[in-house]
Amino acid sequence: MENLQLLLGGFATVFTMQNVLACLLGAILGLIVGAMPGIGSLAGVALLLPLTYKFNPTTAIIMLGALYYANMYGGAFSAILLNIPGDSPAVMTALDGYPMATKKGRPGQALFTANMASCIGGTIGMIILTFMGPALAEVGLRFGPAEMAVLLLVAMTSIGWLVGENPTKGVVVTMLGIVLASIGMDTLTGSPRYNFGNLQLMGGIPFIPFVIGTVGFAQVIQLMEERYKETDARVDAKLTIRGSMLTRHDFRRLLPPALRSGFLGTFVGVLPGAGATTGAFLGYAAQKAFKSEEPLGSGAIEGIASCEAANNAAAAGSFAPLLALGIPGSGTGAVLLGGLMMWGLNPGPLLFSKSPDFAWGLIASLYLANILTLIIAIGVIPFLIKILSVPLKYMVPCITVVCIVGSYSTSNSMYGVLVMLLSGVLGYILNKNKYSTAPMLLSFVLAPMLESNIRKAFIASRGSVAIFFSSAICQVLMLVFFVIIFTPVFKAILKKFKKGKPTA
Amino acid sequence: MSKFGSKQLIPLGTSALAVIWIVAGLKKYGFWESVKGPTPAFVPTIIAWLMLAVSILAFAQSFKEAKPDYPPANWMAVLAGFSIFACSFLIGMLPSLAVYVIVWLRVIEKTPWKTTLITFAVIMAIVYGTFVLWLGVLFPQGLLFDLILG
Repeated sequence: MENLQLLLGGFATVFTMQNVLACLLGAILGLIVGAMPGIGSLAGVALLLPLTYKFNPTTAIIMLGALYYANMYGGAFSAILLNIPGDSPAVMTALDGYPMATKKGRPGQALFTANMASCIGGTIGMIILTFMGPALAEVGLRFGPAEMAVLLLVAMTSIGWLVGENPTKGVVVTMLGIVLASIGMDTLTGSPRYNFGNLQLMGGIPFIPFVIGTVGFAQVIQLMEERYKETDARVDAKLTIRGSMLTRHDFRRLLPPALRSGFLGTFVGVLPGAGATTGAFLGYAAQKAFKSEEPLGSGAIEGIASCEAANNAAAAGSFAPLLALGIPGSGTGAVLLGGLMMWGLNPGPLLFSKSPDFAWGLIASLYLANILTLIIAIGVIPFLIKILSVPLKYMVPCITVVCIVGSYSTSNSMYGVLVMLLSGVLGYILNKNKYSTAPMLLSFVLAPMLESNIRKAFIASRGSVAIFFSSAICQVLMLVFFVIIFTPVFKAILKKFKKGKPTA
Repeated sequence: MSKFGSKQLIPLGTSALAVIWIVAGLKKYGFWESVKGPTPAFVPTIIAWLMLAVSILAFAQSFKEAKPDYPPANWMAVLAGFSIFACSFLIGMLPSLAVYVIVWLRVIEKTPWKTTLITFAVIMAIVYGTFVLWLGVLFPQGLLFDLILG
């Protein structure tokens, strides 16, 4: 109850005209920045940090918090409408969002699902943050290198095995993602590897151009053969909020995955370094274990809801270690931490006792940002859907330009554009041969974290594999890992056995 | 052999990549040091071995699958992308994009001049307004522009 009173005090801090306007501005800018492929929350928060210099610390961090939070909403827009994820957490949203918008002709409902799930997931994350933030941050700290390594293995294998029709292909592309991620500087020693003497490769393959190419530019190449056979679904998109509303049945489908992913995402967000991307991937993978009305990947509401709720919940959850322990959970968290320090605030256990107005004001502002962003996001749906009514033959040059400009702007180098073009061709060929690219992107983004945790665990244990089975957390996660690995194998054996058995 | 195509080339490609990673990892970067423990190639080498194994499995399975088709028109987008890339070094990125949009709409799509110019204006306004004016991205100006400026 004490936390509730403190939260109400936080709302009293937030509800000044200046703070509400700052929150609103942060929400609008976050949506725009999130929807722009190639910018992302880290660059967005970093770019807009100077805008907050003139504000007092509370107002400034309220704006940045709202911006970061709204970013998670915005990433889904371009993923659903153009199949170009605005940011890495939105990669999973594109899997079901784009088919729902184009093949099923329900772009408004796809956006509405993403917005509602984001709001539900975010609210769960904030409620948990309000009542259990410091305690949860302590749990997060129990995840050492071994626990993190096994958790990341679970995330990677679950997607590799579960996405697409053929698990072998899923594993091939998952491994390919890890191999490509190993190019460049070694994460622990800083020495170059697998760059084969090439200076550009020494910096590794940049993620954003890689994702824009694999998903966005590959889509452009595919659109070339579809541009003259546009389906009625694209043209018949209803251009009103009412026409984009979810039916009661849709909402019933959305709610269970959103609630589940809300809890899962918050927990993932609390883990150091895991962040919204891991949350979204795990949320989607977890949904595979539950019943969906339509298969995931074909435009299922459950698919959009599971990853969108998880990434927003993770964004809220990441504030727990940031505020309670002073440990940022992601790159964006690190920029926010820098902002807090710039204003003379030291996040950590004493923040809640020394600066309660600020700490609870920030948490209260997240609630406000969640509602404001939802209202704005729903309000812009009719305008966004208009994008889909643009004929494909005009969309091809538009998306190509966005892909090129977006990939250049993240790296400020033509190398980023080259990576985008090559990965676009790779993504197109993989898609044509029914290799899903999502596991490759997941493993690519998680590989550095996985590698550094595996190596740290081995160094700490002096080379003993037993460290991966030493704690209760490790044992449970290992069990999950082995279940994921062996379930399809057992299923296949069982199927063969049943086929071979003569019917009575 | 008529069945041979990209279905087989993908696992062959990943196998080749895996072999390169294993050889380079073991010969150049090392796998394990008795004092320091795992070295930079430790994880990539293990993953490469796994990739080699599953690629061989995928190769064996690939002959059961139908061959995908690659319509020649699709490669126009790739050609355009690489042309913009090459032209950016010569005339700069923004002019290359501008030329691309106009040529694509007029020549490939046979769009009327009015629609072409409207589409062109909208695309360039978004690119210039967001990336140049707001985000301050400095796009490459190209050799020609550099020569003119001296």
